[in-house]
Amino acid sequence: MSKAEGEKWIQQLRVKWISLYWLQGALLNLAISIVLMVVATRFLSFSYWILLPLLVLVAAVQLWFKPIWKITTLDIARHLNTKYAVLEESTALFLKPETEIALLEHLQIEKISAYFPITDSLNGLWRKIGYSLIVLMCSIGLSLLINRLPYSFVEDQLNTTTAASAVVKEHIPAQLQSFKVSITPPVYTRNKERTQKQLTIKVEANAKVDWKFETNTSLKSLKMIFNDKEVHQLKPSNADSTVWSFSRTITQPGFYQLVLDGQKSDLYQIEVIPDLPVQIKIIQPKQRTVIDIGQPQKVNLNINLTDDYGIKDAFISVTMASGKGEGVSFTEKKLSFNTSFNNQQEIKLQQLLELKTLGMKPGDELYFFVQALDNHGQVSRSDVYFVSIVDPTELMSMAGMTNGVDLVPEYFRSQRQIIIDTEKLLKEQESLSTEEFKNRSNALGIDQKLLRLRYGKFLGEEAETEIGGDHDHDDDHGKGEPEAKFGDVQAIMDKYAHKHDIAEDATFFEPELKAQLKAVLTEMWSSELQLRTYKPQGALPFEYKALRLLKDLQQKSRAYVAKTTVKTTTLKPEKRLSGELGKIISPLQQADFEKKDQTTENLKTLLSLLESRKTGNSFNAADRQLLHEAEGQLIGAAANQPGIYLAALKSLRKMSIASKVNLKDIELVQQVVQKLIGQETAKPQTQNVGAANNLSKTYFNYLKKQSR
Amino acid sequence: MEFKYAILLACLAFGIFLVYKEFKRKNKAHLVWRIIASVAMVGAFAALIVPITYTVKKVESVNELNLITVGTSSPTIAAIKGNKYYVDSAVLKAHQNIKANYLPDLAYHLQLHPELKQVHIYGYGLGKEELKKLENHTVAFHAGSVPSGVISCNWPAELKATTPLIVQGNYQNESDQAIKLLLFGLGKNIDSLSVKAKSSVDFSFKTIPKQTGKAVYRLIALQGKDTLSKEPVPFTVAKKEVMNVLVLASFPDFEYKFLKKWLYENQYPVALRSRISKNKYSTDFLNRKETNLDQINSETLKNIAVLLADEEELKALSAKERSTIQLAVENGMGLMIRLIDPKQTNPFQNFNRYEIPASAEKPLAFKIPAENANLNVLPFVQTLFLKTGANEQILVADTKGRAVVSTQLHGMGQVMGSTISATYQWQLAGKSADYTTFWSTLLDKASRKKSMDQTVQFVPQLTTVDQRTRLIVSGTDDKVPDMRLGEVKLSPRQNMELPFEWDAVFWPSQLGWNQLKINQKAVDFYVYQKSDWQNLKNANKISSTNHFIANQNKKQVNALQNNSSVEKEISKWWFLAIFLMAASFLWYELRILENK
Repeated sequence: MSKAEGEKWIQQLRVKWISLYWLQGALLNLAISIVLMVVATRFLSFSYWILLPLLVLVAAVQLWFKPIWKITTLDIARHLNTKYAVLEESTALFLKPETEIALLEHLQIEKISAYFPITDSLNGLWRKIGYSLIVLMCSIGLSLLINRLPYSFVEDQLNTTTAASAVVKEHIPAQLQSFKVSITPPVYTRNKERTQKQLTIKVEANAKVDWKFETNTSLKSLKMIFNDKEVHQLKPSNADSTVWSFSRTITQPGFYQLVLDGQKSDLYQIEVIPDLPVQIKIIQPKQRTVIDIGQPQKVNLNINLTDDYGIKDAFISVTMASGKGEGVSFTEKKLSFNTSFNNQQEIKLQQLLELKTLGMKPGDELYFFVQALDNHGQVSRSDVYFVSIVDPTELMSMAGMTNGVDLVPEYFRSQRQIIIDTEKLLKEQESLSTEEFKNRSNALGIDQKLLRLRYGKFLGEEAETEIGGDHDHDDDHGKGEPEAKFGDVQAIMDKYAHKHDIAEDATFFEPELKAQLKAVLTEMWSSELQLRTYKPQGALPFEYKALRLLKDLQQKSRAYVAKTTVKTTTLKPEKRLSGELGKIISPLQQADFEKKDQTTENLKTLLSLLESRKTGNSFNAADRQLLHEAEGQLIGAAANQPGIYLAALKSLRKMSIASKVNLKDIELVQQVVQKLIGQETAKPQTQNVGAANNLSKTYFNYLKKQSR
Repeated sequence: MEFKYAILLACLAFGIFLVYKEFKRKNKAHLVWRIIASVAMVGAFAALIVPITYTVKKVESVNELNLITVGTSSPTIAAIKGNKYYVDSAVLKAHQNIKANYLPDLAYHLQLHPELKQVHIYGYGLGKEELKKLENHTVAFHAGSVPSGVISCNWPAELKATTPLIVQGNYQNESDQAIKLLLFGLGKNIDSLSVKAKSSVDFSFKTIPKQTGKAVYRLIALQGKDTLSKEPVPFTVAKKEVMNVLVLASFPDFEYKFLKKWLYENQYPVALRSRISKNKYSTDFLNRKETNLDQINSETLKNIAVLLADEEELKALSAKERSTIQLAVENGMGLMIRLIDPKQTNPFQNFNRYEIPASAEKPLAFKIPAENANLNVLPFVQTLFLKTGANEQILVADTKGRAVVSTQLHGMGQVMGSTISATYQWQLAGKSADYTTFWSTLLDKASRKKSMDQTVQFVPQLTTVDQRTRLIVSGTDDKVPDMRLGEVKLSPRQNMELPFEWDAVFWPSQLGWNQLKINQKAVDFYVYQKSDWQNLKNANKISSTNHFIANQNKKQVNALQNNSSVEKEISKWWFLAIFLMAASFLWYELRILENK
């Protein structure tokens, strides 16, 4: 290769070199820009057009660091020198003008020109391009991945403080260049202050909201209308009247609207997250607890408290009632929990109520409830729970048995007797021999059994083993029975009499009574079991419970009416039974129900009006009046529940101006109007029948005659 | 003719000339092929100008007419032998290259061809009007498969306020996928139902429409996201019509008091007469004018729709008053009797009743069998029940099926007996919906029916745009009704047998709601698009055609067969192809094969 050819080759190489560098740069640029674009669109809500400026920007940065176009042929020569040792640092010789080349240099050129053209001179660059391609692939993959991320996740990661929900599409007035809504939640919520670029707001109750608007032209006035009623004139913060701000504490949900130079904007929703009082859940004990004799006089409290922001305090309010009749005395106490409340959102509390230390005696009752305070000072309290201790003396007393109807007197005494005997046996236990003790215990068990069987009779029990079980009636008498002997009167009588119908055995209790009786029997069973296994101590609680239930039973079957003093007007005997009605008048009342509220009727008419609007009929003046009324209704509803009604209000307004029929708007309004009307039930209606002509009348009369 | 022969002669001469030229040609290669090609070319050219025909023998039945209607499958059409005709251009839409003739007027065609004795109908069949034209012919019906979609549907065209709209029908799903059937109205999905693949389902949608006036609901069939059909369900809701109620009480009690208040608040005119002592009454007139109610006479009962009384009060009435009430009931008034005592009787209708001991019972809930509605439990034990006879209808029963309210016809009116004594407990318990349902059912049933001045009927029921519609009006007398559709006055025609019935024919032109004025009274009706309820119409056609076939008393006519020959032409494209092939061979041979 000659020198001229070599020079040309180097020049060509430079061109290839630069263009390949361009290619690589472009690939890298694209890779970086795509990732940046996805991040910008996804998290900062830019549009996809952001890609173009990004490309330019990244390219500018790249060129700043690597001015590719500045590569000269000399640079190429230098590069070849460093890369290929065979060139002996002489590549630059090719670029020297012919006139300046010395002889030796000529020789050197001839020596190295044998190596030209170098075929693999661009290999390194190609490899770089390959790497760039891989980078591009990776960046595309990464951006797809980012785009796939669930929205909430993205939201959480970027903006953990905003409680505000998903972005709502809203129409911003064109004059607004930018705006900022800052929300300062009340301190007790411990939520951080946040700002949003959205006019629809969702805030905690009593949060302070600051609006800052920047307009692109100077405005004469900017108003904010809340719930279509309250109008607030805003004051500009700068001389140009382009910056306006307003702040307000939000307590109620509703909606608002901006008026820029008399031009009304869309409606924006205000949603309020209310602060709920503490929720109290008492897991243990049950609403009513009865502590029987022998049971530990303790109540274990197990309580769950939850609040949306924090619990400040909680305590148990306890009321004890002791005494009987008129001598009942009440004592109140406040018991605090022995844990500290650090404004937690949820807390599990456990407390043991020692009834004895509270000063409760058998027969007393305890009422308690839990009261809790959240960090906003809202008080909530639980239901009232009851705990009562059974009084053994009450059970043993004869009061109520000595008078009135006595259903089963002797048996009562027996159960009492068994208890007394058991206690006596326990007292004498130490002085008795084991044999004797066991014998007496067993004897008591037998007594208990006998007693149980006697009660069992009330339930129609005949078998010894069953509790309350009804026996099967063998109703097919006469089957398989031996032939009656002649003259055997008893046998004949048996044939016709149902032997079970013995008056004394028949049960005349109500089902509820029966159920309680069964419970008594169960207790007796258990007591008997304990006695027979020589554990009179264990039998006592069952004996007491049986006695208490029996006592209840006895009380249940009687009604007591206290005597009261009655004063009657004295009768005039001369007037009685005379049959004179002269002084008695016939009263007459007349009234007309005036329904002043016509809204439901109007809303109903509006529904069919909207239906006809769907087919393109325009509204007339009367229709507009109806629409206006409905709008008033909707404004009221939207102020309370903007989430449900605000969109419909917007649609209604749009619809009343629009000349085109928009089915979606109409249907939305129809839906909401139906909600406003509410549930209806059928009212009686006069039924219609066909026209009554003479022919049908005649036919009817004919049929009537025929049927007679 | 001459032209044909001239062409043939010219071609022959040209052919001979070409063959001669071939022989004279120096290059003898491919001579045979060239001669063949030349002859073929000239022959094809001749055939291009002069058509070549041949005759085919065809067997055809002379006295039969094959009529293809919509719904005929393509294989069926292909299998039909003989001539094919269609009367509905929709057939052409379904089968674009059908080989059948269009009959603009079937009756005319049958008149022209008296030899036609039997008509075979394929597909969904014909409507009633068209079937009438075939009355003198034997008709055979080869029904197509049942259409997939809503094949029957019904709903009332006019409702009273607060009465439910019930849309019932049958959906035939012939497809392989499940279909969701949806009733949509006033911007809301009201009710839906899923129809499994290859099944037929009876549907019934019920809703209380909220609007007053006209509305169009839609019955939508969805398959996945595809909307298969969207049929309009138009109806109107009239305003509430109140009824006059008269209550005669022998004693004041809460039942009367609450009923009175409820009727008063719902703006029903009520008169309540409550006996205080002998011939002494306390009377209330609510939402109506005062009249003297000391004596019940025909004047007082004239406008009363329902009379509610207890048995004791009915007994205390004079014989004259009783007969007045009797007469009023026979003329349509409703009489509701409160039955309190198990033994007492009344002079109107002896409701057989029985009492059960209260102790063994628990309070039971009530139900209204006709409406399939369940009412909540009343807090007392119902002990008095009715033994209903064959001519009595049970209106309310308890969950064990024992009747507590029953009714029977008495002349044109109803006599109803109720043994429930304290329905006001529902009101006290806050279950006013139950109270309303109970009394609405009873009053609806008992109330005097209002006879309308005129009834209007459209034939066909689904009035379709640009379709002949017959309007039938029956009034109370024989006067000529004044019918107007917009500005157009319709000319009525009297029915020969029923002089009070008049009909008129018109062609509605405007889609959607239309209004007719009949004797100055507005009648709203809905005009459907031709495509609405297509499946239903097709199903109706099948059934009407089947019905027509079942009722025709003609025997099947044996097919008369006729042999005829038909000339057929060979397509000229074949000859063009031959011509082109021959010419191109000659050119190719000249340019390429020869040069080699």
